[in-house]
Amino acid sequence: MTKDYTLGKVVVPALRGVDLQVHPGEFISIAGPSGSGKTTLLNLIGCVDTATTGVVSVAGQDTKLLSERQLTHLRLHTIGFIFQSFNLVSVLTVFQNVEFPLLLQRKLDKAQRRERVMQLLEQVGLANHAKHRPNELSGGQRQRVAVARALVTRPQLVLADEPTANLDSVTGQHIIDLMKELNQKEGTTFIFSTHDAKVMNHANAVWRLADGKILDRLSASEAQRAMASGSH
Amino acid sequence: MGGHFRLLMQVAFRNLFTSKINLLIGGIIFFGTLLVVVGGALLDSMDSAMSRSIIGSVAGHLQVYSDESKDELGLFGQMGGEPDLAAVDDFSRIKPVLEKHPNVKTLVPMGTNGALITSGNTVDLTLARLRDLYKKRAEGGETPGLRENIDSLKSHVRQMVALMEEEMARSQALLSETARTPEEKEAIARARSEEFWNGFEADPFDSLEFLENRIAPQIPDGDMLYIRYAGTDLDAFQRTFDRMEVVDGQPVPSGQRGMLLSKFFYEEYLKLKTARRLDLIKQERDVNKKTIATDPQMQRWVKENQTQTRELLFQLDPIKTRLAVERLQKVLGSQEPKLEKLLSDFLATDDANFDTRYAQFYAELAPLLELYRIRLGDSLTITAFTRSGYVQSVNVKIYGTYQFKGLEKSALAGALNLMDLMSFRDLYGYLTADKKAEIADLQKQSGVKAVARENAEDALFGEDSGNSLVAEATPGLINEQEAFNGAMDSLRRDDLAKRVYSQSEIEQGVVLSAAVMLKDPEQLQQTLAELRQSAQDAGLKLRVVSWQQAAGIIGQFVLMAKLVLYFAVFIIFVVALVIINNAMMMATLQRVREVGTMRAIGAQRSFVLGMVLVETLLLGLVFGAGGALVGSGIMAALGSAGIPAGNEALYFFFSGPRLYPTLSAGNLIAAFVIVLVVSSISTLYPAFLATRVSPLKAMQTDE
Ligand SMILES: Nc1ncnc2c1ncn2[C@@H]1O[C@H](COP(=O)(O)OP(=O)(O)OP(=O)(O)O)[C@@H](O)[C@H]1O
Ligand SMILES: [Mg+2]
Repeated sequence: MTKDYTLGKVVVPALRGVDLQVHPGEFISIAGPSGSGKTTLLNLIGCVDTATTGVVSVAGQDTKLLSERQLTHLRLHTIGFIFQSFNLVSVLTVFQNVEFPLLLQRKLDKAQRRERVMQLLEQVGLANHAKHRPNELSGGQRQRVAVARALVTRPQLVLADEPTANLDSVTGQHIIDLMKELNQKEGTTFIFSTHDAKVMNHANAVWRLADGKILDRLSASEAQRAMASGSH
Repeated sequence: MGGHFRLLMQVAFRNLFTSKINLLIGGIIFFGTLLVVVGGALLDSMDSAMSRSIIGSVAGHLQVYSDESKDELGLFGQMGGEPDLAAVDDFSRIKPVLEKHPNVKTLVPMGTNGALITSGNTVDLTLARLRDLYKKRAEGGETPGLRENIDSLKSHVRQMVALMEEEMARSQALLSETARTPEEKEAIARARSEEFWNGFEADPFDSLEFLENRIAPQIPDGDMLYIRYAGTDLDAFQRTFDRMEVVDGQPVPSGQRGMLLSKFFYEEYLKLKTARRLDLIKQERDVNKKTIATDPQMQRWVKENQTQTRELLFQLDPIKTRLAVERLQKVLGSQEPKLEKLLSDFLATDDANFDTRYAQFYAELAPLLELYRIRLGDSLTITAFTRSGYVQSVNVKIYGTYQFKGLEKSALAGALNLMDLMSFRDLYGYLTADKKAEIADLQKQSGVKAVARENAEDALFGEDSGNSLVAEATPGLINEQEAFNGAMDSLRRDDLAKRVYSQSEIEQGVVLSAAVMLKDPEQLQQTLAELRQSAQDAGLKLRVVSWQQAAGIIGQFVLMAKLVLYFAVFIIFVVALVIINNAMMMATLQRVREVGTMRAIGAQRSFVLGMVLVETLLLGLVFGAGGALVGSGIMAALGSAGIPAGNEALYFFFSGPRLYPTLSAGNLIAAFVIVLVVSSISTLYPAFLATRVSPLKAMQTDE
């Protein structure tokens, strides 16, 4: 598929023909220099943007055929999002932030929601911060809340665009560990983009992007080697 | 579902107090509600106060008048004089038709008109009194008491001529425009001469005529005064308009001719100007807390009191003048011999001495003076142009003064004087055929000779015309070229003044309108329509109007005031709408990232729309309730303390010196609805914009 952005009269090709497939349960990292098209690719997969040409299928559904309402529905029920700058709703508590997608789903009653939210908060280690507001938490804690929010609906796929970019390396490491742990326990598929070589280590596979094209698909160890050689 | 809405509420509620823009919008809503609540309640209260003023003074709930009238009824007058109304020939014919309606409580016949009253100047009046005494002497011979009175009045006249001469000398020195012609000077010189007064007794009537014709006209203050009066069934009036109360004197005895002057009119126009000005200064000081030192109007009054002392000087005969001089010398601790100078010094009041001088004026000087140009119990000569084009004069006895409770200071309510219907009809001068026949009958019965037109003048002005029933025969009798000229020549009709008229006599005859009081004022519109119908069914050509219409320009004025106020409120809300709209746009832009995140996570557009609307609605409810609450508090405070009218023109609109506004549920509901509608409308566009925020916005990092 391809994606072009139009800036006035100039057409910026952000993705110039990308073809890929992700299998359930994979833990994939997208790597590449700035401007290579990582964010664009994630947006297309996450159904928040549409491809100029080509097809995006999520959970076997061709997203081109879906209406705006249906796309939103798809995002709500099958995809979880983790953002670079956490994007918590500042006026809501930690608990309410995590509960938010469940309320939108309208599938669970109050007690079930409570149980699910607390379970996830426990998993991310913030059970005793449930009543706090986001601005009372550190960056790492906030991102953990965001992880809990992304996973609370038990999505098939979680997308994370540079989830560690706003965190120091140790905290970033913790977040990736957490994601990996959930990936293994719950079998949730993760796709995240990153600049950071250390972060990539945890991935099953690393796709390297450059100039809107996939350079290669490497295993974690291959990728590490490639990075090492690239940097030396 | 419940959780969903709860979430909306939660987000909205939390946002209320965290976003500064929301606080701004809240503030606007708060003040908007406050304004509507307070403004609306004030307007309504003023409206009902004014309606009480109008209904309770003369209008009643409805007014009925002839459909053949050229103008519309204007009980409080209109631009350019009295409205031109056709007469209702016979009140007793329309009364049963209207009274049949179950909602009609009472019916009061009335007619308003304006006329001139002449109250000759001081010289005129003194001369007239002197003439009366000489007449008495001619009839009954001289007694020592009569002689004493004549001498006292004569010396009073001499005193006045002396004052006129002094004034003349002064105005000549100043080369003022009021300088007199040679003939006038000559007349004064003669009236000053000893020969004139020595020869006075030789032919007193001739001497008096000289003074009346040559001296009195040189004094300009014998003014004509415009007086508005309502002729009515005075008993019915008093019963119906319970705000009316007699202040001084007594009510006009049942069925008799007579007049009640409005207290306001009596004070304002008939009181000695010096005393009136002192009263006004006192009122400004006591009620309005103004000071002479700072208020130019009060300074003007003081100045006028100091310079316009002639009114006082002329009233005092030599004995009283001496008394006044002694008293003022004592009060002022002065040796000044001239009263004019003493008065001027005495009336030079300031904030320090005003209260003592005021008390001294009433204690020391007032007993020597006539405080009012017309005393209660005196007869007043009213001169009016009748419908037939003649000038008609009628003497009416003044029984007292009255006022409408709460409207004491209102010039509007105070402009109307009350008169019996008989005198009113005489002045109105329009007789129906029935009435003419009846009068002819009456004249035959009472043995009064009918007066032929040619002899009318003699009969009216001749020295012994006292017993003719002139007024009732007026239209046929009076020569149109002949105008009555004031108090001196008008007729003494004691027999008329003493006559007691029966209720049917009062009711049978011309009226201009009738006031209708209703049992249930709530049904005013319906009753109005039904009365119109029953008048039509009875073949009566009547117009039935509400008190608002009957009030004439006043009613319209209030309508205008209301329109202006509502327009102002409208403008304020348009401005509020724009501001809220802009503020909401800003709020939405500030929250693009948050909205984008929600959209990315899976919130539908409808959710975003609901979120913004709920937020505004909540904002409107919370701050609107706050505004309504504070507004209610303000109204409660105002309601118990009252708003002072300050300006006397406002008395009428406040129905008293203070307006005690009340807040109705309607005011609150109206305020709430308006505020909610305005805030919802102003949020529609920002809310729409919010739904268009792309989920991509969530991905963008802070730039
Ligand atoms: N909204 C947009 N309008 C126009 N051009 C865009 C837009 N978003 C991205 N681009 C362009 O598309 C290309 C790919 O951008 P993208 O944001 O996907 O890169 P990235 O790999 O995520 O970079 P970074 O590491 O800096 O986040 C870049 O050349 C960028 O300038
Ligand atoms: Mg990016």
